[in-house]
Amino acid sequence: MFLKKGKKEQGPSGNEKTIKSFPASKEEVISFFRQQFHSAADLVIKEVCPHLTVLYLEPLIDGQILREQILQPVQNKEIHSLEELYSTLSVGDVNDEKDPEKALESLLNGSTLLHFDGTPRVLLASTPQSITRSLSTPELESQVIGMQVAFNESLSTNIGLLRKLISSTSFCHDQLVIGHQSKSRASIVYLKEIASEELVTAVKDRIQKISIDSLIDTPVLAELIEDNSLSIFPQSILTERPDRVASQLMNGKIAILIDGSSHALLLPNPLIEFFQSKEDQNIRWQIATFLRLLRIGSMVLSIFATSFYVAALTYHYEVIPQPLLVPLGESRSRVPFPPIFETLLLEIVIELLREAGARLPTKVGQTMGIVGGIVIGTAAVQAGFTSNILIIMIALSALASFTSPSYMLGNVIRLLRFPIIIIAGLLGFYGIMLGFCFILIHLLRQSTLGVPYLAPFYPPRYKDWKDSIIRFPAQFLYKRPDATRPQDSYKFPPSEGEG
Amino acid sequence: MTVMKINLSERPKHSVSALLLFFVIHSVQVGVGLQGFQRAIYKSAGHDAWISVFISGIWSLLVLWIMVKTLSYYKNTDLYGIHYDVFGKWIGGLFSALYMLYCLFAFFIIIRNYVEVIQAWLFPQLAAWFVALTLVLMVIYTVTGGIRVLVGICFFSVIFSAWLLLLLFFPIEYADWRSLLPIMEADVSHLMKGAYKTTFTIVGLEVLYILNPYIKEKEKTLKFSSFGLAYTLFVYLAVMVVSLVYFSGGQLENTIWATLTLFKIIHFPFVERFEYLAITFWMLIILPNLGMYLWCAVRGMSRVFHRNEKSYIYWFSLLIIIPVCFVKTTNDVNMLNGFFAKIAFVVVFCYPFLLFAVTWIKKTYKERIGRKS
Repeated sequence: MFLKKGKKEQGPSGNEKTIKSFPASKEEVISFFRQQFHSAADLVIKEVCPHLTVLYLEPLIDGQILREQILQPVQNKEIHSLEELYSTLSVGDVNDEKDPEKALESLLNGSTLLHFDGTPRVLLASTPQSITRSLSTPELESQVIGMQVAFNESLSTNIGLLRKLISSTSFCHDQLVIGHQSKSRASIVYLKEIASEELVTAVKDRIQKISIDSLIDTPVLAELIEDNSLSIFPQSILTERPDRVASQLMNGKIAILIDGSSHALLLPNPLIEFFQSKEDQNIRWQIATFLRLLRIGSMVLSIFATSFYVAALTYHYEVIPQPLLVPLGESRSRVPFPPIFETLLLEIVIELLREAGARLPTKVGQTMGIVGGIVIGTAAVQAGFTSNILIIMIALSALASFTSPSYMLGNVIRLLRFPIIIIAGLLGFYGIMLGFCFILIHLLRQSTLGVPYLAPFYPPRYKDWKDSIIRFPAQFLYKRPDATRPQDSYKFPPSEGEG
Repeated sequence: MTVMKINLSERPKHSVSALLLFFVIHSVQVGVGLQGFQRAIYKSAGHDAWISVFISGIWSLLVLWIMVKTLSYYKNTDLYGIHYDVFGKWIGGLFSALYMLYCLFAFFIIIRNYVEVIQAWLFPQLAAWFVALTLVLMVIYTVTGGIRVLVGICFFSVIFSAWLLLLLFFPIEYADWRSLLPIMEADVSHLMKGAYKTTFTIVGLEVLYILNPYIKEKEKTLKFSSFGLAYTLFVYLAVMVVSLVYFSGGQLENTIWATLTLFKIIHFPFVERFEYLAITFWMLIILPNLGMYLWCAVRGMSRVFHRNEKSYIYWFSLLIIIPVCFVKTTNDVNMLNGFFAKIAFVVVFCYPFLLFAVTWIKKTYKERIGRKS
């Protein structure tokens, strides 16, 4: 009881140093800010004229604006009051502020504070310097055909990119602040006439309910606002492609961007969309359909292929036809381990290779390929650790797990394999089926922002099947998906005879 | 017992569209029975067994129509509500409790039969309680997800197992179509006896009684559930006909699981002995049955006895494991199957007519009183 009370008093607002209004004298103001920032080394305090003090955080402001638009105009004049100072400055955005809390906040956002001795108020001139890198090509979701620009870490640049793609007044952009320490700015972006208001309020509610000290990146936010963060399956897509976000906004989705994160979050997101890539819309529909089928097929293959091997060789060798059984038996004749051990060993080797490859710099990474491919692969067979056929299957399933257009889902596939292999080693086909049923029930239980996770298949909305596993030619895709419950469900009027 | 609300008002979040009834009815009907229903019917009706299947299908359609008709006298109710309304608190409660017992019995029968198949074909050493436990855990995970998850399992069960039907083309290669001739050799009493033997395989449509309040468009109930029934009938007829032409009469009489034996002939370059895959795949086919029957029983707990549904999902399903361990031999299982078929015949194929008659009498009686006053 006592401890709890003590904790509450230490909350962010209970700072004893806080004062209600500014002191008038110069010395007091300076000592106040020194104290607030704990004498930070980058806090610059300058006395420009006899009565005028300038305060700013050096790394956050643009030196050129400070020099040309604040210091130069002030230096050549004699200033007698704050009002006079106000009219002298040539910076666009200047605020008269009485509240020290707000003054601190805007200092942290890159403003320059000007104090006139004897006035209990300050002027805040907006002089932020954007700390950002230039735009680059997407690394994680690279495409052959399509926009070759990815988001970067600056929120205003990212919003700008989206605004360029959708020049519409219905483009809504609401900003919220998350994290009582980091004060990260999060933007919720949607299209007013299309996105469902219910979903937008749901997203806002969920974000406002978060009580966290800092939020540095969007995946963390995703985990905090998803329907079931305990599930292995991601329920929102992370993307670095502005074109993907733009086209999904047109489908009635909601995007969340955070200042400092180069990934946007898209909600709601049923499972099927993790198999779709933005590129599918840029290539011919037959090829796009083929690629989507390939991705889904490879997911199934990747999860179940090696466990099938384990189950068949451990319990049900009858299902393997004679001509196949002979070479299989030959290649396994020297292997001293049971199939489950052999498979787990090799799967872990593949995972090691992959993880090492992801952590190493690119140049060293090539060596990894040689070590992995030749040394481990060939040597393991020659040493009699594994069979040739298993190596082929493991390589296939690893390759197949790379085909997922979403890195997040790729990781899911990577991990799901292990429990299925183990249960296949214990219970054979029966175990695999148990795993399959469990995954199916689990998927049925999930939802993304209240929308069923397996939409549009279950509950069946066959009109949305046109852009799911298959992709119809563009002229048939006149409807927005029902999953997002759009206010306006038509992209364009369906042409005659195709309604 | 407190007073029970006869009509339910379900929030739209929980309702399912009538289209899904196609999948629910079909998936609850198809289950462990399909693995070997040929033998019993063949014994009664000979090579005209497919006519018996057809007759029982038509009979089920009639029952379905009567069920929908009974339910349509009320705005939005289930069997428990009708019992309460028609028979009153005590007798109605007793009938509801009996119905719940029937559902749990069906749950038990399905698990025991599947355990039997798993032990006979795949793992003779595997303990019955273990198989039952794994199945029950899956069912619990489904039913605790609510009606949408349960209906979803029905949906995917039908979609994902549709390919099994294509496998029937493999045995056709070895078919002797003359074994179907002459048609109508069995007389009517034998055909009827065969139809009666189909009960065990074709029950499942009774879940509509309980599911009714959750259906969105009630006027389409009959349409989609009879489609589901028709699809079931089509599957059964196809399997029956293929079995009749593939096996000889004597073989069929001695084959316990004829459908699974049919799969033995299937052969791909990379996989053969297909029945191993089919048997394990059957788990997805029985999951909807298990889930639905458990859900029906548990619904009764909350509707009739006003108990919390969630805890009874665990209680009922875990308690079922105990009798599964006690039934040891194949003979016991067969005896239980016969016993269950008798009960199911009364509950599913006779009782709806009685219920309809009583409901109709009550309704007309009420109307007459209403007219008088």
